[in-house]
Amino acid sequence: MDLYVAAFGFGLVSMSVIAIAAVGFTMQFGITNMINLAYGEVMISSAYVAYYLNKAGISIWFGMVAGALFGAVFSFLLNRIVYAPFLRRGTSHIGMVIVSLAVSLMIANLLLPIVGYYSVSYQDTTGGLIRAGGIVLTTNQIAIIGVAVLLMLLIHGLLRYTRLGKAMRATAANPTLARNCGIPTQRVVDAVWLITGALCGLAGVVAAMNSDSFAIANGAGFLITALAAAVLGEVVAFGILVAVMVLRPQGLLAKRGALAAAG
Amino acid sequence: MNTYYAANLLIYAGVDIIALLALNLQFGVSGIVNFSFIVFQAAGAYTAAVLSLPPDSANGGFQIYFGGYQLPFPLPWLGGAVAGGLLSIPVGLVVLRKLRSDYQAIALLVLSIITNEVITNARPLLNGAAGLALVPPPLSDQIDPNTASYQYFYVALTAVCVVLVFVLVNRVVNSPYGRSLRAMREREIAAIAIGKNPVELKMTVFIVGGVAAGLSGAILVGFIQLWAPSVWLYPETIILFAAIIVGGRGNNVGAILGALLVPVGFEEVTRFIPTTIGPPGLIPALQWVAIGLLIIGFLWFRPDGVRPEPRHVFDGAPVLEDVDHARRG
Repeated sequence: MDLYVAAFGFGLVSMSVIAIAAVGFTMQFGITNMINLAYGEVMISSAYVAYYLNKAGISIWFGMVAGALFGAVFSFLLNRIVYAPFLRRGTSHIGMVIVSLAVSLMIANLLLPIVGYYSVSYQDTTGGLIRAGGIVLTTNQIAIIGVAVLLMLLIHGLLRYTRLGKAMRATAANPTLARNCGIPTQRVVDAVWLITGALCGLAGVVAAMNSDSFAIANGAGFLITALAAAVLGEVVAFGILVAVMVLRPQGLLAKRGALAAAG
Repeated sequence: MNTYYAANLLIYAGVDIIALLALNLQFGVSGIVNFSFIVFQAAGAYTAAVLSLPPDSANGGFQIYFGGYQLPFPLPWLGGAVAGGLLSIPVGLVVLRKLRSDYQAIALLVLSIITNEVITNARPLLNGAAGLALVPPPLSDQIDPNTASYQYFYVALTAVCVVLVFVLVNRVVNSPYGRSLRAMREREIAAIAIGKNPVELKMTVFIVGGVAAGLSGAILVGFIQLWAPSVWLYPETIILFAAIIVGGRGNNVGAILGALLVPVGFEEVTRFIPTTIGPPGLIPALQWVAIGLLIIGFLWFRPDGVRPEPRHVFDGAPVLEDVDHARRG
């Protein structure tokens, strides 16, 4: 029984990591309607930014902030330089998927000669142990859960209670109509890429913290996890994830019938 | 250029041409973004391998696999083709029926990654990450494979398969059936409205493509004599997509051109760049970057490829202003 309780504790931590990644991915896709297959590679790039800062003796918590900033800027530029021009040309959904897959391949292979094939890990990421009713977690793991909960609340607040959030929801629902109503959809989309990029970068650092070591090859795995969580989040509430689902702004971004045939 | 190198190039070209004709049928003509194409090629290769290998206790039992039937020549190749087709059925039924096209692409991409992980880690199935080695080449009990004449023989066998596949897909593409496929690709709803069943069309194309993919894998494994998870990672499919995009979507000549330009031409030329430049792994990594650039560059500057698909217009058909728009739509 203790085993299950302990596993539940670790599950909570993994869930927090996945939730950050999945919320970023869902928001990106939900509002811009762009399936960004380079998401996993942006995550791993940000994890490496934090790694090099950490190696230079900077605390991993600052590394996390730096990773988030890097992810935000990287995603923003990715959209501005590659995706947005293709979208303006009227490239189909499928065309965009292929473009983003090509981008993902390029990021991974540009990163590879810089960081090498080998697995690396952060310093000082364990912290002290905390026990609560059979659950044993490190302080850092508790902090990860805290960060995830905080982010969920922030995103929820942003979408629900701010003008920007309202504009985002309007853009997600119908971009043309939103533009006609005077919403600067271009700037809204820029904001979305910055915010989701920050979530993506932060998720990358947190995921790397939560695993013993990470390598460039983990990018594809990160993407699959984010995809799976994003898709599951839209269809069923599933096991322990239920807890996250309650905290997620899912009701606002759920694309009903997204899995059904187009049209 | 010696015989072995020439034969090697020709056989790779043949395998890539078969694969690209199949992928063009699926992606170029019918609009199915099959990101797990390489899995079907792998299915054919593994099947051909276990059909032609002796039981795994042979050779000192250094590798583990099921099967090992030592079947005579055409059977492993046929088996590989059948395996590619059979695997397409469940995959197609899950992926092609209800999902929107971009979700289809993602489901297939994820399937490709997962399959590779499973085969890599489940060693008893197909010897895991090490893969299968010492696969007997076709008819090796009758002709010595280490002779120049065997190389020519293998090239000829490959050529026969290329011609067969080319004739088959050409007939499909240029028939009324091919017209239905193109109609589905352009406007699925319009195709449904005139009574076409898109699921049926997609499934057929998916299975035919799977058979050809399986055959291409069987030919390749007979020649290189080994097959491991590292040769069918998902980026390999991206190379094939790059080839289709460069060659020209939707026409078989474009597919062949793409095969000669990208997997054969590009990879072969860049192979001669010394790999000692820069940090280890720099040149192979830059090759992949170049593949990515090739895709993005062509989609931006020349979305129809080197040889654009010929427009199929009937005499006297009304000229629609939005044909170009619809083609991209």
